[in-house]
Amino acid sequence: MTDDKDVLRDVWFGRIPTCFTLYQDEITEREAEPYYLLLPRVSYLTLVTDKVKKHFQKALRQEDVSEIWFEYEGTPLKWHYPIGLLFDLLASSSALPWNITVHFKSFPEKDLLHCPSKDAVEAHFMSCMKEADALKHKSQVINEMQKKDHKQLWMGLQNDRFDQFWAINRKLMEYPPEENGFRYIPFRIYQKLGLSTLYYPGTMQTKVGLELRERDLPASERYLPAYASPVLGIKWPV
Amino acid sequence: MAEEPEAVLQLPSSAAAASGETLSELSPETVTPEPPSSAAVSPGTEEPPGDTKKKIDILLKAVGDTPIMKTKKWAVERTRTIQGLIDFIKKFLKLVASEQLFIYVNQSFAPSPDQEVGTLYECFGSDGKLVLHYCKSQAWG
Repeated sequence: MTDDKDVLRDVWFGRIPTCFTLYQDEITEREAEPYYLLLPRVSYLTLVTDKVKKHFQKALRQEDVSEIWFEYEGTPLKWHYPIGLLFDLLASSSALPWNITVHFKSFPEKDLLHCPSKDAVEAHFMSCMKEADALKHKSQVINEMQKKDHKQLWMGLQNDRFDQFWAINRKLMEYPPEENGFRYIPFRIYQKLGLSTLYYPGTMQTKVGLELRERDLPASERYLPAYASPVLGIKWPV
Repeated sequence: MAEEPEAVLQLPSSAAAASGETLSELSPETVTPEPPSSAAVSPGTEEPPGDTKKKIDILLKAVGDTPIMKTKKWAVERTRTIQGLIDFIKKFLKLVASEQLFIYVNQSFAPSPDQEVGTLYECFGSDGKLVLHYCKSQAWG
C-alpha cells in the first residue's frame, strides 16, 4: 500500500469548486450573496456546509428557517451519497463551478432522508464501513477494532485528516499474504437513467459473476474503493 | 433454491394480513428500472445466478426487549426498501410512528433506509434467505 500513497492522497484531497445560491423563492430580509466553497469529494454535504448554512440563515427570518437541503437543476441532492458521487452523476459534464441551490423550506420527503445532526452522518458512514468489511473480512477486522479506532476513522473524515484516517483504514485494506486479495470487493455502481432522477444502485460482488480481483481494476480506479468502500462514483468503463 | 414450505407468508400489499390487520398498499420507494441496453458492466449481461424471482425470503429476529413478531418469515419484493420494511414492522408490532426501529444485517451494520432488500439479499443472504435483526434501540451502533 505504501507505494500507492500518492494515489490515495489524490483521491482523498479531490475537491469540487461549488457555488451555493439561495433558492429564489425563499423570503429574505436582506441580500443573500452566493457562497463559494471547495467541497471534498470524499465527504458528505451535511458535514461540510455549516458555513453555507450560517451564511444564508443571516439573510432569512428565524421563522422561515427549517432543515437545509440542496438541489442541482431540480434534483434534490441526497446527503448520504458522497459529494464526489453526486457531482459525477449529475454535473460532471457541466462547466465549473458546480451550481447548487440551497433551500430551507418544503423539504422533499419522498426524495431525501432527513439529517437531524452530524451523528446521523457518522452513523451512516460507519454503517457503510461495516457493510464493506462484512464483504472483505466477514466483519472480523472492523469488529475487532476498539471504539476509539472507529471514532478515529470518523474524526479523520470529518476533520479532513488523511493520516489519521488511514492509520486505521489501512487495517481494513489488508488481507493475509497467502490470499491474493479480498474474498469480495465491495463497490456500488450508480447509473443515471435517461432524463429522470432515478438512481440504480447495485452492490455487486464477485460471486454474482463479475470476476474481479483488486489487481484487475485499472490502476487509478483500484484505489477508489480503497478509502471508504463501498465506493461511490466509479465510472465503469464499457 | 428450494421453496420454503409452511410459514412463508406474503408481505401483504393490498390484501389483509394473516392477523386480520389491513395494510395499505406499500408502493416501492424506488422503481426498479430496466437495465440499459448498452450494458455498462463487463463481462456482458450476465444474469445473477439462481432464480430471479421477484420476492426474496426474509427472516426477522427481535433484539433485546423488542417485541417478537408472531410471524417471522416473510416473502418480500426485491424492490422493497429498508424504510418500507421498518414501517411494516412498526405497524405489525403496533408501535407508534414516533418510536424508532433499527434494522441490522449480519448483526453488524444498519443499511441505509433507501437500500433495497433484494440487493442486501444478493450480498448477505444465506441458505435462501436474508436474516435481519430489528431493535427499538441502536443495538450495534
